[in-house]
Amino acid sequence: MNSIPALTIENVASLDNILGDFLKKADADLVVVIDRGGNAISQFGDVSVMDVTIIAALAAGSFAATKELARRIGEVEFNALYHQGNGSHIFMNSVDDDTIMITVFGLRTTVGLVRFYSAATAQAVSKLLKSLDPNAGHGFSFNASDITAAPIFADR
Amino acid sequence: MSIINYASREIQFKIVYYGPALCGKTTNLAYIHERISPSNRGDLVSLATAADRTLFFDFLPLNAVVIKGFVTKFQLYTVPGQVIYNATRQLVLRSVDGVVFVADSQWEKMEENVESFRNLEENLAQQNISIDEIPYVLQYNKRDLGNIAPVNYLEFLLNNRKKRVQSFEVISSTGQNVFSSLNAVSQMLLHKFSKGDAAPAAAPPPVAVPVEPSVPKIATPSRV
Repeated sequence: MNSIPALTIENVASLDNILGDFLKKADADLVVVIDRGGNAISQFGDVSVMDVTIIAALAAGSFAATKELARRIGEVEFNALYHQGNGSHIFMNSVDDDTIMITVFGLRTTVGLVRFYSAATAQAVSKLLKSLDPNAGHGFSFNASDITAAPIFADR
Repeated sequence: MSIINYASREIQFKIVYYGPALCGKTTNLAYIHERISPSNRGDLVSLATAADRTLFFDFLPLNAVVIKGFVTKFQLYTVPGQVIYNATRQLVLRSVDGVVFVADSQWEKMEENVESFRNLEENLAQQNISIDEIPYVLQYNKRDLGNIAPVNYLEFLLNNRKKRVQSFEVISSTGQNVFSSLNAVSQMLLHKFSKGDAAPAAAPPPVAVPVEPSVPKIATPSRV
């Protein structure tokens, strides 16, 4: 798997612009870009009502779980998945080989509208991620001496 | 593969608890979830069957130390131990940064332990990761049971590589050494990450089998 370089503040601002524009046009509540390992890369929208970390982990699992189903009908994988609820729904689409986009939306909009705008958004996100220099390193450094010697997690 | 986000000032790491079926991986996460401060953790998500066997994975997000203004976030996953779920294990191992290998100390589980460790090596190799490159620790779990193998035998089976790693005698149901092993792998991970930018190399973790006083020591590990 190709590694995704560190996202600088400028990269995140560019991603936010793309995702914000998408949310506005599609009238969705939340959009999260994740890697296929389940890590959230960027998110935009109302994140107060749900734990984005958990959504990302479960969505990556859900996407991968259907891969075998796709293979049985001659597909490599499904490009998009839609989970329909009563009031809230989730639409997920593939951005590239490493990345997935998750959109959470409610009754204000329709899956058709979300699907329509998500295609162009995925392309824009993919282009932006590809433009990052994978050899640039993560740019953030710390010394071993910066790491606390005390236990990182404490048993209460 | 760690992810750094400069906007939210976060670094994300993924730690996977790996091991044979019913060795106590989920129990590890349940204990950590129960005992860690609620302000430092999210919900424990468990995708299990009606019989409480892990079907897909368990997931527990944790917030940890702040380094140079960046919050380190650790995402703990378990894999389903049952042999047939290898595709799921490969999925969960994607982008992994560190591993806690949970071995079942009972004599009758030795073959399954070795098989699961081999399976871990194979699945990491599929991602072009060598077991020798990735930070990992070993847990010898269920030390409270009667029919258990001595630690030096487990060391011979699972920790007999050129690069030996830290190993822990664990009773995951009571929490013995659960946090010690999590802290050890987290420290290794952070040190590896700090080395990534040519920071001064950290001292390699000592090969040790910490034992808390409450549990009788079975045997001193010896190099075989």
